Amino acid sequence: MKSKLCCNLERPVPATRSRTWLSLVWVIGCILAFVPSALAGGDAPAWMHALVNVPLPTYDEKTDAVLLYSETNVTVISADKMRTQVREAYKILRPNGREHGTVKVPFDAQSKVSSLRGWCIPAQGKDYEVKEKDAVEQAYAPDFVLASDAKVKTLQIPAPDVGNIVGYEYEVEDRPFFLQDIWDFQKADPARESHYSLQLPAGWEYKVSWLNHPEVKPTEAGNNSWRWTVSDVSEIKKEPEMPPFGGVAGQMVVSFFTSSGRALNANIDWDTMGKWYSDLVGERVDASSEIKQQVATLTASKTTKLQQMQAIAGFVQHDIRYVAIELGIGGFQPHPAPDIFSHHYGDCKDKATLVRSMLREIGVDSYYVLINHERGSVTGEMPAHNGFDHAITAIKLPDGLTDSSLIATVQHPKLGRILFFDPTNDLIPFGQIGGYLQANYGLLVTPTGGELIELPQQPSMMNSIQRTAKLTLDPTGTLRGDVKEVRLGERASSERWRLRTVTKDVDRIKPIEELLGSSLASFHLTHASLINFQQTDQPFGFNYSFESPNYAKSAGNLLLVRPRVIGNKGSGLLETKEPRRFPIEFEEPTRDTDTFEITIPSGYVVDDIPPPVDADYGFASYHSKTVVTGNVVDYTRTFEVKELSVPVSRAEELRKFYRIIASDERNTMVLKPSP
Amino acid sequence: MLLRRVFSTGCCAVSLILAAANFVPVPVFASAGFQPPNPDELKMTSEPLAPGAPAIILYRQVDRDDNAQTPHEDDYIRIKILTEEGRKYADVEIPFFRESEDIVKIRARTVHPDGSIINFEGKVYEKIIEKGRSSHYLAKTFTLQDVEVGSIIEYYFTYDLREHYVYDSHWILSSDLLTKSAAFSLKPYTAYYSTMQLRWTWHDLPIGSVPKQGPDKIVRMEASNIPAFQTEDFMPPANELMSRVDFIYSDELPENNPDKFWKNVGKKRNGQLESFVGKRKAMEDAVAQIVSPSDSPELKLRKIYDRVQQIRNKSYELRKTEQEVKREKEKPVENVEDLWKRGYGNGVQLTWLYLALVRAAGFEAYGCWVSDRREYFFNPKIMEPYKLNANVVLVKLNGKDLYFDPGAEFTPFGLLTWAETGVIGLRLDKDGGTWIQTTLPAASESRMERRANLKLTDTGDLEGKVTVTYTGLEAMYHRLDVRHDDDVAHKKFMEDRLKSQVPAAIEAELVNKPDWSGSGTPLVAEFDIKIPGWAANAGKRVVLPAAIFTEVEKHIFEHANRAYPIYFEYPYEKIDDIAIELPPGWSVNSVPPAQAQDGHVVAYDLKVENRKDTLHLTRKLTVDFLILEPKYYMALRNFFQAVRTGDEEQIVLQPGAASASN
Repeated sequence: MKSKLCCNLERPVPATRSRTWLSLVWVIGCILAFVPSALAGGDAPAWMHALVNVPLPTYDEKTDAVLLYSETNVTVISADKMRTQVREAYKILRPNGREHGTVKVPFDAQSKVSSLRGWCIPAQGKDYEVKEKDAVEQAYAPDFVLASDAKVKTLQIPAPDVGNIVGYEYEVEDRPFFLQDIWDFQKADPARESHYSLQLPAGWEYKVSWLNHPEVKPTEAGNNSWRWTVSDVSEIKKEPEMPPFGGVAGQMVVSFFTSSGRALNANIDWDTMGKWYSDLVGERVDASSEIKQQVATLTASKTTKLQQMQAIAGFVQHDIRYVAIELGIGGFQPHPAPDIFSHHYGDCKDKATLVRSMLREIGVDSYYVLINHERGSVTGEMPAHNGFDHAITAIKLPDGLTDSSLIATVQHPKLGRILFFDPTNDLIPFGQIGGYLQANYGLLVTPTGGELIELPQQPSMMNSIQRTAKLTLDPTGTLRGDVKEVRLGERASSERWRLRTVTKDVDRIKPIEELLGSSLASFHLTHASLINFQQTDQPFGFNYSFESPNYAKSAGNLLLVRPRVIGNKGSGLLETKEPRRFPIEFEEPTRDTDTFEITIPSGYVVDDIPPPVDADYGFASYHSKTVVTGNVVDYTRTFEVKELSVPVSRAEELRKFYRIIASDERNTMVLKPSP
Repeated sequence: MLLRRVFSTGCCAVSLILAAANFVPVPVFASAGFQPPNPDELKMTSEPLAPGAPAIILYRQVDRDDNAQTPHEDDYIRIKILTEEGRKYADVEIPFFRESEDIVKIRARTVHPDGSIINFEGKVYEKIIEKGRSSHYLAKTFTLQDVEVGSIIEYYFTYDLREHYVYDSHWILSSDLLTKSAAFSLKPYTAYYSTMQLRWTWHDLPIGSVPKQGPDKIVRMEASNIPAFQTEDFMPPANELMSRVDFIYSDELPENNPDKFWKNVGKKRNGQLESFVGKRKAMEDAVAQIVSPSDSPELKLRKIYDRVQQIRNKSYELRKTEQEVKREKEKPVENVEDLWKRGYGNGVQLTWLYLALVRAAGFEAYGCWVSDRREYFFNPKIMEPYKLNANVVLVKLNGKDLYFDPGAEFTPFGLLTWAETGVIGLRLDKDGGTWIQTTLPAASESRMERRANLKLTDTGDLEGKVTVTYTGLEAMYHRLDVRHDDDVAHKKFMEDRLKSQVPAAIEAELVNKPDWSGSGTPLVAEFDIKIPGWAANAGKRVVLPAAIFTEVEKHIFEHANRAYPIYFEYPYEKIDDIAIELPPGWSVNSVPPAQAQDGHVVAYDLKVENRKDTLHLTRKLTVDFLILEPKYYMALRNFFQAVRTGDEEQIVLQPGAASASN
């Protein structure tokens, strides 16, 4: 599997391979005379020396290094044993390329690093060599994982300096959970030449799929082995708000199986993968008497099925603490529901298991959905492979159950209306899903198999800030008044998340101070309170009052007043010299509105107001206007993100869009003394 | 040059290896064990001393026994969970170094508000943090079950320390939670044949808490209501804000008189210094190659300084692997003559070379060990020699004390690194030395000047040339930040720096090659810039802010509450001088009045002049202090609010025939 199911947010990327060690398939090799280099005197092997004078194309000045050569040899020995040999060499072109001198080889309880060596060929002087004994082992799990068998061997190659070539070889023996491998040949640096070889036992077959790269045919190397080659693959430079790396990088997904046993391969298609997961879970969803009792207690006073579901959902969201213990198959297999309940903790798949168990007790069917928390890591076009790192629940809504709070639903042709629910996220109300899940693809696991389905995209209104302010300006330029902010969706949960880590009551006003500080040069908060901080099923909000001295600027006998008092929607995201290469991804649909009523001081009238703005680019829109009625100025604006992705071809439009917003946010009205 | 002391990251730092002793330990401390649930604690839902806290530590106990054969430390902690967020304290991770200790006897339990108890029967995991040939840094992890808001979680464990070693140890009282009550004890190592002595220092302990040694030689202390430690912007080093007791073993005779103590330290260090620099003839020959007899004294000092800075400084090189170091076959530098001949040395050695050379040139000069203020503020009464950790040279010239540290790369002549400025140090001599205080450079010595010639287009864009000049410590730290990077990275670094100073999206292109290698020269960066839509629309008028490079000050001291003092690394100044040419036909309706704020240690001036078809904007911001007590925070916050208000003053323009639009 690409990742364990532990709500993984970000894993360190091994220098050697961008996929993680957990990839189902870990590899083998041995074809093509991949014999571990045996050398005397610490010299780099011949395959590295052969690279010293290879001609290279001209790379741009920002290229840190070039992958001169990469070879991955995967040998499938049996259904439960594989061996992978990797050799790679980089030429360091810039100081930033020094990072390639640090080799990281991940492993875990299912795998063993059986050899590891590295070399440096300096531009001048003798070669360096380092061996496995020079490596250090480190934990290789995110901090939030309490216990994990994931480790990484790190080897530091000497002198990874500009102009030098560093290279390494390693071999990993693996007892894979899945008979699949992913060759990720496109990296953050350009790759000159990359090879991938596969040797299968007699009678075995394979199936490959290419992602983000035209298909390349293999050459047969005999003895049931094949070899693929790609050359001059361009680098993928990181851009802000780009799709996940795995969603844009060239990869080859290869699955293998015996001619008579395709079903042995869980990754042959989505249906088989779903079946595999369903079997892995087995009877772990079965409720204990304690669970039954808890369900009875939770639902006793609930009169409708929806209320019962909400009570169970709230219990698992809030009472079951998130704790991840990822050991061996435990990275994929949830704990039995009774254990989760008695411990009162578990990770994402555990929480999904318990919620399923409890829902079953009230007669509601539900299913696992395996998903990646980064939208775009798995797409509808991709072949079956495990790019999942998170588990949530799909709940089959009882017939006839409708309610306006149930937003995250789809109509399934066989199951009927299903609601998606993430019990790990205790800040998103039952009925909705976070932006990271919307329009994302997940594997719906049913007892009979699985299918890749697209989760719904919620209306932009569901993720919003509605800010209304009633303000008064005095003749000295001081602006004061009251503001009410109502936040929904991620706009609410992000603030709740931030506030829950606050350790002192007095610090709960800090988000408001920072909001005001980003818009007002000078301010004093005279009152502040939170709305529904704990009631996560209700809209969150702030109520506050402030005073801002010198808000209006004097210009002769005029007063200059910026009607957009609070809030910033502009962005310098695309203000770069380099042309954009990848689409711009928004986290979720959004619709924010500001309504500011400003009473101007007596003795003044409005002399001039900024023009209205109406910008609608399809993927997003922005409208603002300033209206004067007597001594009251009403400024209203709406910022809406309608689509989750803006293609590169429209990046320039998005840049213009942000410039229009930035300009409007600076625009000013002019007050003059009454005649 | 800072001399870094190596700290381990575990709970203890190895101090000394002791010979095995025929010593039969007396187990005076048993493991603390669980305490019976206290009804008041069970009922508790909040703590008045920590309103809003996710949890508090009800009680903590640390009992350490440094006997030679079974050294160990028993730790016990009891935590009350007050909010959902506080349940995270049920996940426990105890790091340790396998070479020197193990964690044993872990016991834990959860007590519910109704008094029911759930003993921890789960698994304790061992996590590798880093395991290499010579070190195993691990952690024991476990999580308590059935933890809910209102629960009390408690656990205890024992550090099983390596036999026949003693370790310096520390009682760190501060944590991220309020501690209601705590008790500590340490039974020191003793042996009648050994001169090993234990002494201890403390910092910022709660009122009434002082470590005391009893007749049984055990050091004990109790403490209560220890506030939670928090982080704030511009705060002093955390070590200065945490309550702590540090225990230090030493094989030297005890000395309780600080004056005598430091005399001894000074004599010892002076001996080491003189042994290193005492190569008069070699240094005189070297000086003759650097200076001319006709040079003025200051020029001589400067020439020697520049020459020393040209020598390869190994302290600033990239960390090398064992093989690389071995292959270099570089002999250790034993004295200044070695250094001069071989052409390399570390930062400390280079600074001492400067001392030797200026003495050879006839100057009265002294070596000084000062206390770097990055981690601690030095107090001589607390006799901790390792805190005198940076060396500088004092030269007497025309009755003035001048300080130099050429071993700190890119440090301009006449300045020290920020952490060495304004600190106490020991000027060494054969009698043990005298205390000195290094100078604190004026704000004007570390300056950022931004001069711009810009044009406003009739579409409201601002474009033109900007020259940014960094001097003093401002230049030094830019150079240090990117010293291992190439021109491409330098360019991006400077462009990003400029972009971060403007409160709008900006295009910036560095068009010159700044002098990255110098130390005395200003760092000058020239840019072509464009700020799209900088002018704001006000109907038939157009308005422009009175300042451009204001983004950094926009977010300083936004919050009204402050717990700790405000601490800047060094005084500095920002000066802006900007000319903006208006589009043809445009006129200036009004410019804002001049702004002036003088807050004694901070000052701000802003002026806009209308020079026919060109606007002239000048701005000066001075921050001239290192540390201010929290009581001055509101005044400082008000000052920066006034700065922001001034920066947002508006210039009103009247477009010509073609109206501005953006």
